[in-house]
Amino acid sequence: MGLPCGTFNSRPEQDMAIVRTKTQWVLVFLSLAFFFTLALYLPMDWLVWLIMLGIYGVAVLGLHILVGLCGQFSMGHAAFMAVGAYTVAVLATKYDVNPWLCLPLSAAFAGLVGLIFGFPALRIKGFYLVMSTIAAQFIVIWVIQEQSWTGGVYGIEVPDVPGVQTGGENDYRNFWWLTMGIAVAMILLAKNVQRTAVGRKFIAVRDNDLAAEVMGINLFRTKLLAFFIGCSFAGVAGWLWAHFMGHITPLQFDFKMSLIFLGMIIVGGMGSTTGALMGTMILRLTEKLVDNISATLSDWFPGQAVQMFPAMSLIVFAAVVMFFIMVQPRGAYHLFTRVKLYYRLHPFSY
Amino acid sequence: MADILVQGFFVGGLYALIALGFVMIFKASMVLNLAYGEMILILSYFLYFLLETADVPLGAAVPILFVSGAALGFLVERLAIRPLLGQPFLSVLMMTLMLGFLFKGITVFIWGGESFSYGFTPAGMINIGNMLVRPDAMVAFFVALFIFVLMLFLFQYTKIGLAMRVVAADHLVSQSLGIRVKRIFSLSWVISGILAVVCAILVGMVWMVTPEMGDIALGKGLPVLLLGGMDSIPGALVGGLLIGLVESLGGYWGGEIRAIIPWIVMMLILLVRPWGMFGQRRIERI
Repeated sequence: MGLPCGTFNSRPEQDMAIVRTKTQWVLVFLSLAFFFTLALYLPMDWLVWLIMLGIYGVAVLGLHILVGLCGQFSMGHAAFMAVGAYTVAVLATKYDVNPWLCLPLSAAFAGLVGLIFGFPALRIKGFYLVMSTIAAQFIVIWVIQEQSWTGGVYGIEVPDVPGVQTGGENDYRNFWWLTMGIAVAMILLAKNVQRTAVGRKFIAVRDNDLAAEVMGINLFRTKLLAFFIGCSFAGVAGWLWAHFMGHITPLQFDFKMSLIFLGMIIVGGMGSTTGALMGTMILRLTEKLVDNISATLSDWFPGQAVQMFPAMSLIVFAAVVMFFIMVQPRGAYHLFTRVKLYYRLHPFSY
Repeated sequence: MADILVQGFFVGGLYALIALGFVMIFKASMVLNLAYGEMILILSYFLYFLLETADVPLGAAVPILFVSGAALGFLVERLAIRPLLGQPFLSVLMMTLMLGFLFKGITVFIWGGESFSYGFTPAGMINIGNMLVRPDAMVAFFVALFIFVLMLFLFQYTKIGLAMRVVAADHLVSQSLGIRVKRIFSLSWVISGILAVVCAILVGMVWMVTPEMGDIALGKGLPVLLLGGMDSIPGALVGGLLIGLVESLGGYWGGEIRAIIPWIVMMLILLVRPWGMFGQRRIERI
């Protein structure tokens, strides 16, 4: 996707800019203002949906760096999120650490656990790496389940964030502003990773890791760095999740959640930040849709009313992702750029 | 002690059988079918439906189940996997996972959270020599052994088996020899579907059938697959027996750690020898 007609990059700063044209600046500020004020008039259930969207978005950005940029497939992302969530829960309840201080600690600790399971990535890739991350999912969740200091299967309480969750009626609104702030910072970070030398190394490794090594890229360091960054994003998402839920159990971070993250990357389109966020948005909206569908279907099949929601959430999610794999394998972002190009050139076909 | 070893050995046969279903497809078409656990799940529930709800006698239900298993394998290959021929492997992998979600969703939709097990064999332990063994595990082990001998015969002594081996070695060569590669893909999925039926009956006998069964089958099958090598049939048998033994030994000494021993073994084999004990090592060039 090139620049609009008549705009040229004449200085290096322009070439590197994340937000390039005046129109884009206006759009960025308008959308920021829109999302900021959204909290003031949205009903409660949509506000909760919005907060979850932000949390999922941060985690998916991490997966985007790992899978979309560096090509290291991970099916254990939810486990790394669990590590972040449990870091803050244990530190804040048992050792009275300030939750704000736990935010970098959560990110760092999730990143370190990611390094352990990313370690085999030097020698293996493709199927084998997928296996190693599935193992990560089951091992991490098992470890959390079996320890007494994590509360086992019953989970653990998480203290409130001071200054944000005060117990008043504005809690959700404040929490959305917190989530939004962190999400915007994370988007900026992801965008910055993409345009620096590290990001270019990631892309070189994704496209052909043998060729990248021959060109002088340290494969081991680059892959481990991708795992560290991707998993720290998951850790931050875990921190948000823990505070938002207030009570976390290991079963919240199951294998299905990891696959949902991966599905979001695929639906949105691999290798673009906007794509990752679009995928998150689409699949979260489908989840909202499932509520309505299963309510309607429950009236039609009263015998199946109890299991309607879990069944429909699986079926609809699978159907949406399968549709994208079959029909639009390059994702929603590719579709979006095609539409944009079409309207930019409108009266002419090229 | 000896009881535990024998028990682990018997259950290991079942693990090997689960892994065989992955190997069949991977060998022919390099597709890792992560929906296999859920194929077993939906077939298990279908057998339950035939026996309990539709009141079909066992002698008629089992052939119906075999036919539907073969049809399931065929349809999955035809409708979901073949259109993705030549796509990057993550698309195919994700497609199989989503098929798994779909099957699980359909199962939950129709049968809810019901769980049950088949009582084809007497409950409790029986005494052989001076060891106590579970009869259902013993039956499962011998059925698995029989299936492996059958597969070995198929691959070594029949023309179809020869064609499948050629396809596994090289697609281009097999096409120039007049073998229809796509038909062999179909056939490998059909065989895998039939194996899923055997697994469905045996798993329903040895463990409980619950909606979570697919994940359990995945959790036992994948480590065995990697340990033995992803494209090796003897590897699946040896890997399955080994994992069964190690798991029951771990349960004897470590107690709770039993649940993740297969995963730990898998991580170790990935670090040391990623292509498995009997797998073919692939050398990459730019």
